[in-house]
Amino acid sequence: MGILEKISGVLADILDVEASDIEAETYLIRDLNVESIDMLEIAVSLNAAFNIKVSENDIFLRNLRPYLIEAEDKGQAQAPCLVEKFPFLTPDRVQEILADLDSGPVLKVKDLAGFVAYQTR
Amino acid sequence: MQLTFSGQRALIVGGSCDLGICLAKEMIQEALYPILTFRSEAGRKRIEKALEPFSSRWEAVRFDFADAVSLNLLFAHLREDLDFLVDLAQGDLEGLVASVEEDEFRPYFLQNISSRAEMLKRAARVFLRKRSGRLIFISSAAAERASAGQGFYAAAKLASEALYRNLGLELGGRGITTLTLRPGYIDAGRGRRYLQGLGKEALGKVPIQRALTEKEVARSVVFFLSDIARGFNATQIVMDGGLTAGK
Repeated sequence: MGILEKISGVLADILDVEASDIEAETYLIRDLNVESIDMLEIAVSLNAAFNIKVSENDIFLRNLRPYLIEAEDKGQAQAPCLVEKFPFLTPDRVQEILADLDSGPVLKVKDLAGFVAYQTR
Repeated sequence: MQLTFSGQRALIVGGSCDLGICLAKEMIQEALYPILTFRSEAGRKRIEKALEPFSSRWEAVRFDFADAVSLNLLFAHLREDLDFLVDLAQGDLEGLVASVEEDEFRPYFLQNISSRAEMLKRAARVFLRKRSGRLIFISSAAAERASAGQGFYAAAKLASEALYRNLGLELGGRGITTLTLRPGYIDAGRGRRYLQGLGKEALGKVPIQRALTEKEVARSVVFFLSDIARGFNATQIVMDGGLTAGK
């Protein structure tokens, strides 16, 4: 079973939705209405499912906006700063995130998969 | 009333005290499986001696809030398999707020609040995977009843109560519930030594005119662990014979 498929199963179980309705591009907060307690449960389940340490701050991109403000304050470019802070995000994904910021929380299922792939590489 | 329980494995943190051992015996009677923690070799021996007749129906493991490594070892020992947690652990620090040295109260708070929070985080994550867990914190009537010299003790107890309360508030929907029990004078351990110092004068202020027995408290804890009592969540119950109700 692939990482994405396994993550979809975890999310389906916790959020009581059909795994087939969860795709890489699905937003966790915008589409699945994930709340902070769900995030805790997701982190615990991913920790068990993949036997990896799951930092909730990292996997859920918790400090994304503070990092962007920090980069701006320091006069640094935002994209390299995010790539450095979240090494599991590809440069393309970071560009997507920066373009999507005004539409709401940006976290997608594929970001969780990216985190897991990075941790298990 | 026949009590039923969602699970069997019950961690008793601070299990080598009189109340911890009494509680383990009561749990065994209810077919629960107590896992008692001890800090010292003397504590381990006390547990072994007291529970010797109940071989293979309990176990003991070292855990000390002052030793971060022991937390990892404890949870490795538990192997993600736990249903209940009863927390009796409490260091003592007597002294006036304006007197106690910083190098005394800093580690005291670190051990009795921060280390407890770390333990709770680990336990909650085990319970979360099972979507079931029941935690009981044994606080003290002294937590709310201010007394000179007990400021640090009360502060640690109240902070710990808040951690337990929030855990029940946050994870109640996931089948994880918490309760704080605040006993008054208990005729056991530290309470017995305290009462011996104060004598009848202290008990005269208690409406029921006596101290609680460890069995009364232990049996109450077992009841609060049972399924019927899970509605008591994210709250505190005072069990002090009425002491703190009056002036």
